[in-house]
Amino acid sequence: MVNHIIATHVPPIIEARGVRKTYDIGSLPVEVLKGADLTVQSGEWVAVLGSSGSGKSTLMHLMGGLDRPDDNGGEIRFDDRPISVTHGKRLDSYRNRDIGFVFQFYHLLQELNVFENAMLPGMVGNWMTGHGSARAVARESARRLLDSFGLSHRLAHKPSQLSGGERQRVAIARALVNSPRVLLADEPTGNLDTSTGAGILDLLAERHAAGLTVIMVTHDAEVAARADRIVKLVNGRVTDQALTW
Amino acid sequence: MYASLLSNRYLTSRLIPFIAIAAVALCVALVVTVVSVMSGFLDMLKSSGRLIVGDVIISSGIGGMPYTDEFLVDLKGLKDVQGATPLIDTIGLLRMPYPRGDQKEVSHVQVWAVDPISLATVTDYANDLYWRPPADAAASAAMSDEDPRKHLDIDVLNDGKTLVQSRTGAPGITLGMHVSIGNARQKDGSYLPRYGWFMPGNDVTLTVVPVSGQGKIAEPREQIFPVLNEVQTGIYEVDRNRVYIPLPEGQRLLRLDEAPLYDLNAEPGPDGRYPQIGTTPARVTKILVRAKPDVSANQLRAEVELCYAAFAKRINADNSRVASMPDFVNILTWEQQLADLIAPVEKEREMMRVLFSLIYLVCAGLILSIFWSIVVEKTRDIGILRSVGASRFGVMWIFLRYGLIIGILGSGLGVLLAWLIVRNVNAIHEAIGSDAPPVIWIGAFVLTGICALGMIYAIWRGRLLAILLWLLGTTVLGLIATGLALHHGTLIWDPSVYYFTIVPDQVDWGTARWTFLFGVVFSVIGAAIPASKAADIDPVEALRYG
Ligand SMILES: Nc1ncnc2c1ncn2[C@@H]1O[C@H](COP(=O)(O)OP(=O)(O)O)[C@@H](O)[C@H]1O
Ligand SMILES: [Mg+2]
Repeated sequence: MVNHIIATHVPPIIEARGVRKTYDIGSLPVEVLKGADLTVQSGEWVAVLGSSGSGKSTLMHLMGGLDRPDDNGGEIRFDDRPISVTHGKRLDSYRNRDIGFVFQFYHLLQELNVFENAMLPGMVGNWMTGHGSARAVARESARRLLDSFGLSHRLAHKPSQLSGGERQRVAIARALVNSPRVLLADEPTGNLDTSTGAGILDLLAERHAAGLTVIMVTHDAEVAARADRIVKLVNGRVTDQALTW
Repeated sequence: MYASLLSNRYLTSRLIPFIAIAAVALCVALVVTVVSVMSGFLDMLKSSGRLIVGDVIISSGIGGMPYTDEFLVDLKGLKDVQGATPLIDTIGLLRMPYPRGDQKEVSHVQVWAVDPISLATVTDYANDLYWRPPADAAASAAMSDEDPRKHLDIDVLNDGKTLVQSRTGAPGITLGMHVSIGNARQKDGSYLPRYGWFMPGNDVTLTVVPVSGQGKIAEPREQIFPVLNEVQTGIYEVDRNRVYIPLPEGQRLLRLDEAPLYDLNAEPGPDGRYPQIGTTPARVTKILVRAKPDVSANQLRAEVELCYAAFAKRINADNSRVASMPDFVNILTWEQQLADLIAPVEKEREMMRVLFSLIYLVCAGLILSIFWSIVVEKTRDIGILRSVGASRFGVMWIFLRYGLIIGILGSGLGVLLAWLIVRNVNAIHEAIGSDAPPVIWIGAFVLTGICALGMIYAIWRGRLLAILLWLLGTTVLGLIATGLALHHGTLIWDPSVYYFTIVPDQVDWGTARWTFLFGVVFSVIGAAIPASKAADIDPVEALRYG
């Protein structure tokens, strides 16, 4: 209880406030998110559970700064600052170092090998800031992550030569290489068989134990059960915001 | 850094960049080659035109101009005149020494009766004489043993320069290189006698028709001349038609020489003749004037006009003269004089420009569409890069660099290709002009056979794409081989159409530079347009591709 009280008085690390998102399907506007709220404290592992098509990916994209809410459609706040109104350099840097994003379909670059893929955000950030030492840090960090994910013998391989589980581990290494404070994972096990998926979840659990904030969406209640807290996305709104303890 | 890494990987991991490089190279090579040959052609036309007629040409009617010796003194006194030469320009018939037997061939020719010494100060006449012994031992060693020049007497050259046969003292004639059928052009541009007809030393008969100032035709006159040498100006029209004889012979044959003047109003004498009251001066129909270096033909023309007006005024005011200067003479620059020759070429060049702006557009469209497909294929990558924080410009830079490299490599290769083609254009033309050597078409048939075998193997393996490609190869190679086997030389650059006996083979480096730059800039723009479009869409949108 004490923990809870302290936690509620610390500002959340990432927060969605009344987020709305409408897509035009044909000429017909469809409101996928109808004022979704989600508050996540630093160090939490939250699972967003929802059926297919409920708008889970949409919510994740908005929180990751990959897409924008509707005009006057609420806001996303990171570290008590709104990110949904930023753009340009600030937004690039938010995507690059504040959060890490893991996609259901891995989204690795086919032309780069495993090591280069994992290092990519390091290279991108380095290109923007121009720190030579930052590059060395990214290199070291990518090597360490891939090593701890059991991929050290795969560094020079192309993504097409890897299994689905291996690809997702490379994608997680890429998401973590710049040591972000929040990991956003969109159905990270959605494309994997149960045992491989379990391996990925173990990996997330390990990172979470080391202090990483994780937000994960899934349609699978069993996968969601690995999280500290489960919220549901129903009818474009988040329900069950209650803490699990 | 990631931009360089990625654009390098995109360049090397796919076939399509090589297609793009080839497309840029071909477009650049096409433009540079054609513009080089066309402008080389015009340059050649202009520079040789000037060397053939001088800078300014004064021509009178058929009756000619008298007192030109005095006028030439005035002309040479002008500060901008390098030299001037009088001549008579008429047409004639030339009875050739061939074939053997009584029936000889007769050509119609343009006759220039000239003073060869002053002609050489105005035109390139002396340098254009073709038959001359080798200049030194090295030049001699380079000549084939059949080349008549190898052991030629220096008299042949000197006689050509003076138009007098030194052995007999008789006036002689020089012929344009292609007037007689005896000169067979070799691949290296030299000539060997054909059917044994080496013209210097043979006699020809020239027939001309004197025409009076009133346009009446008098009895045709003929004279036998020994051929002294042959002249190669490089302009086929001239070399095909022109012959040169000494000026006094021309004046005599055409009745433009000095003649006694009789008083037709007086009573005829006891012998039935009218009394002679003087001598009419000899006449010429043209004067060619050469400007000093750096003096423009137009400037010289203005000076010559003033000079002629002053001279004519002086002569015509002088009552002691038996003849008067014509009131009207044509004074033209060489460009005006050769307008018939130059104008069609300039028109042709304009037409080429128009056609080429179309080709430019086609090339541009081709390159743009290749880049478009490359970028569209990479749209998902752009989404990934944006999602890990790459900026719009960072993403753009990948493709700008990509276009830059393709542009530089493609344009560079294109210029190189154009250089190779243009430098060897005469050899290529020669090869097209002769039958294909059997090795080549037999080789092509062998390759066709290999493709056919490849096709059979592909059919056996049941690979549809491979079958299609091998079939295509078999068909194309088979057609090429058949074409080569049936090919009998066709001259594209027919000298009787294009005036010149060789194709210009100098690269126009100005055009090459601009085309290179254009190729690079266009490749960069071609890559930038689709790339900026891709960088503009939201990462999520881009990730939905593919
Ligand atoms: N770019 C888009 N354009 C139109 N409709 C979209 C777009 N993205 C998502 N949708 C629609 O929004 C709804 C929610 O999609 P999504 O967030 O991907 O759901 P989930 O991830 O929960 O399966 C779906 O009906 C989907 O078809
Ligand atoms: Mg989804």
